[in-house]
Amino acid sequence: MGKSSLGEFEEVVLLTVAVLYENAYGISIKEDIEKRLARKVSVGAMRTALSRLEKKGFLRSEFGDATPERGGKRKRFYKVTPHGKKALEQVMETRKKLWEAIPSVAFDF
Amino acid sequence: MSGQTQISPPKLPLRFLRWFCSPELLEDVEGDLNELFLLRSSTNKSKAKWLFTRDVFMLFRPGIIRQINLFKGQNNNVMLSNYLKIAFRNALRYKGYTSLNLLGLVVGIASCMLILLWVNDELKVNKFHEKGDQIYQVFRNMKQSGGMVNTTASIPKPVGDLVAEEYSEVSQVAQLSWLMNMDLKIENEAIEEEGRFASPEFLQMFSFPLVIGDKEGALSQPNHILISRSVAEKYFGEDWRTEAVGSTVKVEEQFDVQVTGVFEDTDEKSTLDFDWLIAAQAFYAANDWVEDWGNGAFETYLLIPDETKVQAVSGKILMEIKDHTKGNPNSGDEELIIQKFSDTYLYSKFENGVVAGGRNDYVRIMSVVAVFILLVASINFMNLTTARSSRRSKEIGLRKVMGAAKKSIRVQFFLEAIMLTTVAVAISVIVVILVLPLFNTIVDKSLILDFSQSTTWYFILGLIFVVGTLSGAYPALLLPTFNVIQSIKGGIIKQSSFAVFFRKGLVVFQFAISTLLIIGTSVIYQQIDYVLNKDLGMNKDNLLAVSLEGDLASRLETYKSELLRLPQVTRVSAASGNPLNYGRSTSSANWEGKNPDEGYEVNVILTDEDFVPATGMEVLQGRGFDSQLKDSTNFLINEVAAELMGFDDPIGKKLSFWGIDGQIVGVVKNFHMRDLYEPIAPLIITCIDPSASSLVLIRTDENTTDALAAIQKVTEQVNPEHDFDYQFIDHAYAESYANERTMKTLANIFAMVSIVISSLGLLGLASYSAEQRSKEIGVRKVHGASIAQVLMLLSKDYGKLILIAFLLAIPFGYYFTQDWLNQFEFRTALNPAVFALSGLIVLAIGVITVAAKSYQAASVNPVKSLKEQ
Repeated sequence: MGKSSLGEFEEVVLLTVAVLYENAYGISIKEDIEKRLARKVSVGAMRTALSRLEKKGFLRSEFGDATPERGGKRKRFYKVTPHGKKALEQVMETRKKLWEAIPSVAFDF
Repeated sequence: MSGQTQISPPKLPLRFLRWFCSPELLEDVEGDLNELFLLRSSTNKSKAKWLFTRDVFMLFRPGIIRQINLFKGQNNNVMLSNYLKIAFRNALRYKGYTSLNLLGLVVGIASCMLILLWVNDELKVNKFHEKGDQIYQVFRNMKQSGGMVNTTASIPKPVGDLVAEEYSEVSQVAQLSWLMNMDLKIENEAIEEEGRFASPEFLQMFSFPLVIGDKEGALSQPNHILISRSVAEKYFGEDWRTEAVGSTVKVEEQFDVQVTGVFEDTDEKSTLDFDWLIAAQAFYAANDWVEDWGNGAFETYLLIPDETKVQAVSGKILMEIKDHTKGNPNSGDEELIIQKFSDTYLYSKFENGVVAGGRNDYVRIMSVVAVFILLVASINFMNLTTARSSRRSKEIGLRKVMGAAKKSIRVQFFLEAIMLTTVAVAISVIVVILVLPLFNTIVDKSLILDFSQSTTWYFILGLIFVVGTLSGAYPALLLPTFNVIQSIKGGIIKQSSFAVFFRKGLVVFQFAISTLLIIGTSVIYQQIDYVLNKDLGMNKDNLLAVSLEGDLASRLETYKSELLRLPQVTRVSAASGNPLNYGRSTSSANWEGKNPDEGYEVNVILTDEDFVPATGMEVLQGRGFDSQLKDSTNFLINEVAAELMGFDDPIGKKLSFWGIDGQIVGVVKNFHMRDLYEPIAPLIITCIDPSASSLVLIRTDENTTDALAAIQKVTEQVNPEHDFDYQFIDHAYAESYANERTMKTLANIFAMVSIVISSLGLLGLASYSAEQRSKEIGVRKVHGASIAQVLMLLSKDYGKLILIAFLLAIPFGYYFTQDWLNQFEFRTALNPAVFALSGLIVLAIGVITVAAKSYQAASVNPVKSLKEQ
């Protein structure tokens, strides 16, 4: 697996970027995760996850417009790369296989 | 961008963010934070600020922090991080060696830190006075006709007056009495406190801070007194700030003074200590003897603002006493010298009228010990690293093949040393913090490692640099010289004979230092032992001194007979001071056949007829005092006095002083009135006026605790208004050598430290050589060598080294210890057995260390070691 492996939090971030599609930048991703998953996300943790994902080639980014509420700083919008899509699919695949492999009696409580 | 003005996130965190954040991320991250801040501040502004700060700190993590680019555009930092990584891996791989190495360094560095903290503290004593550089103390050299010079700080008052009036170079003169114990009675509550009389200039010259009162006027009138904060709290309780000033104090039931101020308690940073200060005029008015040029009175301090004038002042003041006492029959041969006040603590010992060291000797010794210990620890590092360098030979070879210059390999090993040292120093700091409380009780100080001071940090950084360089230098020079082909080919690199020789030399050096320290310790130990157990000419055991408080001296006979009724008390005698620490003297003694031109300072003890039996002194000639024989104008003298006066048979010779004419009836055996640094002075014992005594000496039986309780009871019955103040003569005597005993303990500890570190190094070396020779040992065992023979083989080399170290240490040890002993007038002889024993101890420790390690190697089944390969 090596570099292409996805951590749990990374997976969430990557999926959220995909969900937000055109509007995936720092704050929107953070808020979306907080809303959907009902968990606190620190700017630091998210930022590291984003740069790590970008380094691994799962994400690419480009600068958008500067807005006054950002103090004149531009937004950096993220998009999932095909490589990223593959990684996500792979994770889903593994999960699916695992689910299928569970004998039906295992969840009889 | 009108909106920008509304966004005002906290400045400091923002600047921090801009500083550490990697430039590619900064714009976006900062924008995000701003947006969040705006959002949050719509609900709660201060919380938003706090959250902003928190977020910035949460961002301070790898991945976001920019790369440190010391050498932009070069790959140095890559190499540097590689060096650190390799160093780290190596350290972890050989955990045993790393911990040996670290342990040695930590013990060494921690000891060194403790010593230097102590030294630093010593150097700070009396240095807090703002005008400290300009204050000079006057000392008086009294030349004895025997060629000896007594130096004292007690200066005739007219000297100070004259200097104040006539010397233009001196801007102020302050006079300060010796420490006196006086009864202070405030609102019917009388407590004994120690303090001094001081002239008004004293407070202006020295920087003793006042809590209340002004330095200009606080001592200007004879009825002025200042008290310390703790005395004020004791008398006036919580309201001392408002109540103390202006209240009346009755001193010794004799005169009234008014409190004009309160000063901060004096602490250990000052050798001048006092709990009260009374205007010197009060003392002068009551004691007109101070006006005489011939009588030593207060300590005298001069303020000389212009340093270039100091020479002139010391030239002018030299002969003042002699010039002003010309024609006076009792005038002595005296000179005045001045010494910078801030130097008086470390250089307090005078020999023949010139400064001859003092505490500074100890400060120097300890500094040298600190350096030695650091050296020993660094040598460990060098030896362990170079001895084991063949482990790294492949790495070095490969680096070279890949194009590394010698220089860069050198840098690598330096970095490695510095990295390990940094870790060691960090651990040492923790160790020091943990050990300091214990150390403080040993040296009786309150040392702290003060991190708020920049000097502490410089010190720590300096230590890392010095130790790192010291221990990294040799490996860094040696290792890059390895031959490429040999090191790549692997196997054991034969190190140059010089490298081996050098390493052995270092081991010798280490053990020589350890032996030296052990010799030093043993000699100090012996001397202290000698001092404490020397026959002082009297029996100091079970002898109690109780001071005669209030008017008890006038009721002496009653008191004595009450005491003698106690079953625990065998003898009682009044005396004018502790005979083992006595300094009252006269220069006006006259005797038959004395050359009138010669002046002698002779000690005088005032006592009663029971003095000799009570103290257990020995009468060599004539007889002691006898209450039946009306001895009030008869004197006893000691051997030194008899010799000085030049009598073959002193008995019956006439002697006079202080206007008393009498004759000598006996000679007592010399006893030590001062510490053993000084020769025994001439002495006259008189029983003319027992009521002038200041204490009674009570000889008790063995059970001193019971005796003390009984004596206290009697004393409090006879003298109910005053505190019971006592000391055991032998305790007081031991106490006066507290410094020496502290040094003894310290020397002991650090000698141990040094030998422990050396042994650690030896352990490392021995286990390494055992490992390297494992095949050889295997072969030898196969051919029938016994474990003992193998042990011998492995230990022999190191044994030889330690022997050489021992031989080297002897002459230095002899020189240094003899030098130290020489300052004692009475000293133990250097014993060759001490040297032999020290050598033996070091040899034993060394050999045991090596043998223990070698035994492991020797007892391994040869099959195991030979099977490899």
